[in-house]
Amino acid sequence: MDPAALAYLAAGLGAGISAVGAAIGIGRLASSSMDGAARQPEAAGDIRGLMIVSAGLIEGVALFALIICLLLVLFV
Amino acid sequence: MGLAVPAAPATAADEEVTLESIVNNTILGHAEDGYYLNFKPFAQVELPRIMLVRTADGALTLEAYGSTKGLLQNGPYGLAAHGDGGEGHADPMTASAELTEAIGAKEHLHGSVVRTSGAVVADLSISRHLIFGLLAMLIVLGIFIALAQRYEKDRDRLEAPQGIFQNMMEVLVVFVRDEIAKPNIPDGKWRTFLPYLLTAFFFILVANILGLVPFAGAATSNIAVTGVMAIMTFSIVLLYASTDYYKELLTGPPDAPVLIRIILVPIEIIGLVMRHLALAIRLFANMMGGSLIIFSLIGLVFMMNVIMGEAAAWSTTVISIGFTVFILLLKLLVAFIQAYVFTILSALFIGMAVEEHHSDGEEETEPGLDGRSEERLDAIEDQVEQRTQPTTA
Repeated sequence: MDPAALAYLAAGLGAGISAVGAAIGIGRLASSSMDGAARQPEAAGDIRGLMIVSAGLIEGVALFALIICLLLVLFV
Repeated sequence: MGLAVPAAPATAADEEVTLESIVNNTILGHAEDGYYLNFKPFAQVELPRIMLVRTADGALTLEAYGSTKGLLQNGPYGLAAHGDGGEGHADPMTASAELTEAIGAKEHLHGSVVRTSGAVVADLSISRHLIFGLLAMLIVLGIFIALAQRYEKDRDRLEAPQGIFQNMMEVLVVFVRDEIAKPNIPDGKWRTFLPYLLTAFFFILVANILGLVPFAGAATSNIAVTGVMAIMTFSIVLLYASTDYYKELLTGPPDAPVLIRIILVPIEIIGLVMRHLALAIRLFANMMGGSLIIFSLIGLVFMMNVIMGEAAAWSTTVISIGFTVFILLLKLLVAFIQAYVFTILSALFIGMAVEEHHSDGEEETEPGLDGRSEERLDAIEDQVEQRTQPTTA
């Protein structure tokens, strides 16, 4: 098989799988922080800040994966 | 960020628009850095090229040209076409007839220039992202020097600040101080780092918002800009870190067996570097990703025009404009969130580094959770009890 074609395939699959991973992570994060905010509405502000930071960290991992996919596509 | 895509390419070049040229020149060309300002359909301004070169006889000289076009026509440079690097590496175009044709087709904006004799030591050319980075810097300087003068003028006033502008900026500054610096940097050391955090926050915010302005671009969608900002945080961490932090970093946790320390120390050091690398990549990828999505959605119209004809292109327009508006709104949100995330993570890393362990065995105090936040937790618990008691009683 053509190596370039394999690289495109890998990039596409990689982008999809990293999106799945990030979606699982951020989904769990959002659900549990909503639980927390619903139980303790006073702490909702603190929870929101923590949630954004953790979402940023999870997103960072997914973006690492996306950069690798972009490199696969652009520099084969 | 110019949203215009060549609608009438036939005027520039007589060859047909291919899918590759749409992807390489239009979509990537807009999202990437470049040596021109795009005001299509009104104008296209080429930026000066400055090259530090070592000429064939070994002398270092600084060469400046008004534009890429001037560089190619007057200097000893050739044009290497974009995207066909790798194997073979076709010879750069140097013949003037060929060059004139390539410039007519605006290929010089998307290709790279190669010096025919000697070598380019450093390309100091003024690029689009540099212009918008400097513009963001000037806007931040202008806003905050004007604001600081207003605070200086009525230093001992007692009434609330006047005016929408001053109030808006004060809210943001107080937000950075109270929500980002104070909770994350312990022992009152936040005063030392607040100026850096405020500078980073407002520079990123203004640069991100410039990326949403038509014809402008986001300087933060350049890995070099975000990399330098992450290096700044990294050097602050290294310079201001307490001896406890260094001791723990280089010798492992205080009461761990030697074998575990041998494993943990490299992990800690790699983790330290990766944290700051991720700081750069996160901001860069978010901004770059946003503009790539927008240009891809708009480019879809022109791709449809090539693949399926005009009718399909018109119907795609409706869909892609709708999605583009949605993504633009999302980017406005992301502009704020990324500035916040970069600043709060910088504050977190700095706070972790400057914290001093009072090594008389108080492991129960978590990093960042000092007495004040415990007081706050107590207050919250009191409030909860007060609220729940009347209902249960």
